[in-house]
Amino acid sequence: MTEQMITDAVHEELERAGGDLEAAADRLLKRAVPDAMALLEATRKGARYDIVYYPDMPEILVSPGPKKPDQIWEARPRWTRPTPAAEPVTALDVNGAYLAAFKTHLPLGRLQHSTGDQFDRKRAGVHLITPPDWEWGHILPNPIGDRDTPGPVWVAEPTLRLIIRVMEQGLCKAPVIHESWTSGSTEGLLEKMRVALRTARQTAILEDDTVTLEYVKTLYSKFVSTLGESNFNRAIYRQDWMHCIRAQAFANLYLRAMKAFQGGCGVIRVTGTDELHVTGDWQRVFTEGRDLTEMKVK
Amino acid sequence: MPGISDEFGKYNAKGIKGGEAVARQLDRLVTYIRSPVDSPRGLAARLRYLTTSVQRQEAARAAGLTVADATTARWLAEKQKPSKANLARIEHAYRTIRRDSVAQALRKRLEADGGTRIEIHPADNSRVPQARQRSAGVRSINVRNWGPIVDAWARGDQTGLNSAWIDLIQDLGSSWGMYEYVTNVGFAA
Repeated sequence: MTEQMITDAVHEELERAGGDLEAAADRLLKRAVPDAMALLEATRKGARYDIVYYPDMPEILVSPGPKKPDQIWEARPRWTRPTPAAEPVTALDVNGAYLAAFKTHLPLGRLQHSTGDQFDRKRAGVHLITPPDWEWGHILPNPIGDRDTPGPVWVAEPTLRLIIRVMEQGLCKAPVIHESWTSGSTEGLLEKMRVALRTARQTAILEDDTVTLEYVKTLYSKFVSTLGESNFNRAIYRQDWMHCIRAQAFANLYLRAMKAFQGGCGVIRVTGTDELHVTGDWQRVFTEGRDLTEMKVK
Repeated sequence: MPGISDEFGKYNAKGIKGGEAVARQLDRLVTYIRSPVDSPRGLAARLRYLTTSVQRQEAARAAGLTVADATTARWLAEKQKPSKANLARIEHAYRTIRRDSVAQALRKRLEADGGTRIEIHPADNSRVPQARQRSAGVRSINVRNWGPIVDAWARGDQTGLNSAWIDLIQDLGSSWGMYEYVTNVGFAA
């Protein structure tokens, strides 16, 4: 049903453009933001939770002004180590990293403040933490990302969960949580939307339909980038979700690096949202392909 | 269920008047000059805006910027810097005139397609003693007539905004009194 909205939009613009693919793609790009919002609404029909579009945001999540950085650290990886001589390196690419990150714990309502070193798995939000020391920088990147200043930092939910997960594997100590802004959470809020976009994407890949593929890409990437206080999308002000989805994309990349490492590959570079360079037989660890769970060679 | 609160915040509830929250959101929907008034760039842009025509200059005077034309000219030529009080007056006059000039277009957008849905977040009860907490959820309401609200906002009329807000929330039913004070009101245009 909801996938139909995507194909309908493409057909409509193709018809209007009279077969001019470029003009149709251009038009689709322009209507992507309202279309994404309509898709979100359609996928929430009959769902358990209503979407809250305009909650009161704590100071920490309000943009400090034009050209000033946000106060939430999203733990974007930027890590490279020297390549061991005589070993071929393969540059791998994660498919649809932001789309895959739609599956993340998102806070539902207004964020509530709490202090103290407690972590509640049923809630999500942003946390002020002191990240643990990292001793494995020569073989694996730090899960907190490429951070110069030591000390406490505000992170989104996925980053904290990633650090806890890495800790449970015995690679570092526990992070210290000082303060949190959280709300009851669910992982399934954007699930229907993710599945709709993913299905449309897969069909487009199978049919070699570049117009739809580009449109789907624009739908999810613009949705993520305008979720917060964007002037291009005033229908929703959820900075918390924007940070969570981005941080989840980075955390997913980190987990893939970890998977490669544990599967016997050497991890050489982890950068951005989707770039992973490895040595060794990576095909034993990942399947090659273009689906969200697969990896492709750059 | 009670109507208007007599002593809001007596038991530590936190919130602002609904009218204020609406004004805040309306201001978010308008593009103002982004540089602050105390930066050279922001000041120059505002002064240019206030002096583009004779009508504008008169409007600025009516909005409280009652300085001699020669003074404005010296500010524009950067021969003199406005005092802090005058900076505040410049900002106030700029905002008032800008609001007034976008009000009608904004109202049209808000009233298009049968009105605009607004999301109302009630006052924060979390620090109120348990026994005195009243539970109120997030409510949505469709507003068709934006005239009173937008007009009061454009005039900078807080009382008008608040009474327009009270009129509006009556549609919420018997519990409307819980939405006199809110943490946020959201809508798009």
